[in-house]
Amino acid sequence: MSSTRVLLADDHSFVRRGLRTILEGTNHYEVCGEAADGSQTLELAARLTPDILILDISMPPPNGLEVAAQLRLSLPKTRILLITMHDSEEMLHAAAATGASGYLLKSDAEELLMKALHRLEEGQCFVSPAFDPDLAKQLFG
Amino acid sequence: MSALKVLIADDHDVVRKGLKMLIEEHAGWQVCGEARSGREAVEKCSQLNPDVIVIDVSMPDLNGLEATRQIRKACPRTEVLVITHHDSDEMAAEVMDSGARGYVLKSDSDTDLVRAVEALSHHKPFFTSRVTEMFLANRGSRVTDPAGMMRKRLTMREREILQLLAEGKTAKEVATILGIAIKTSDTHRTNIMRKLDVHSVAELVRYAIRNKVLEP
Repeated sequence: MSSTRVLLADDHSFVRRGLRTILEGTNHYEVCGEAADGSQTLELAARLTPDILILDISMPPPNGLEVAAQLRLSLPKTRILLITMHDSEEMLHAAAATGASGYLLKSDAEELLMKALHRLEEGQCFVSPAFDPDLAKQLFG
Repeated sequence: MSALKVLIADDHDVVRKGLKMLIEEHAGWQVCGEARSGREAVEKCSQLNPDVIVIDVSMPDLNGLEATRQIRKACPRTEVLVITHHDSDEMAAEVMDSGARGYVLKSDSDTDLVRAVEALSHHKPFFTSRVTEMFLANRGSRVTDPAGMMRKRLTMREREILQLLAEGKTAKEVATILGIAIKTSDTHRTNIMRKLDVHSVAELVRYAIRNKVLEP
């Protein structure tokens, strides 16, 4: 079975390294690139056309929400999992509006990253369980 | 030669995992333990006696700066390297104030973190040039910073309790967490509110967020 190609975008190198370690512990995911800010993410995503983009919201400009909104138009096949420390409903609303497929809190990342990625591969959405499930369903479907 | 023992404290598993990988790639360095909160960091420092602790600022229960103050008191041999995503001059000054000897932003490079641990392992301070510039540029202005002056009036214990109260804990819960009498906990709360000139928990929370005792 071919591997799923994942692009990592986070301005914190320790987070990228942690995510890479989790993904490389499986035989299924291949980290095809890493980006440390919004511009680099747009450039690498266009060049590498990953299956999945794991995208931090708070990054040097453009931020993750702006990147997600742009990529939904230019690379509609790339599924986007936003990853963030923001656990507010306002941010969840803003994230849903970009067309991203998932919203994972960094505090859940190690435990739930695999589950979130599997959901995205199956064409479904994922929202961290800290949020009201009804709201999550209403926003992300 | 024995390995350099490093303790890692961050409430995010994924960050601890990344830090552990980075540190253990370095020959002769070993991660001797991990902590998920400031309080756990203080406890593990006493138990494990690490050479260096790498500690995040924003953590539940007890933030990294208050934990640093306690660690410097209880384990003076352990060098503290603070990591944070707060890129501000106030934070740089706070870090220096806490007794940490190193400060690296989470957006700094892996090389900076490795250089910082290396310096601290020789009991030498480490600050990136960006942080040093920020600090020097704002040295004068801090003397007249009213919030800073007010915070200085709180004791270490009071700052610890301030965070717990601002996180929504009751005086009874604070007493249980810290192993003190409820009456003592109440007295601390009264003193904190008097010193900060705040009159409700909501004001206390606002103060704590404004002064980065806890995250919004």
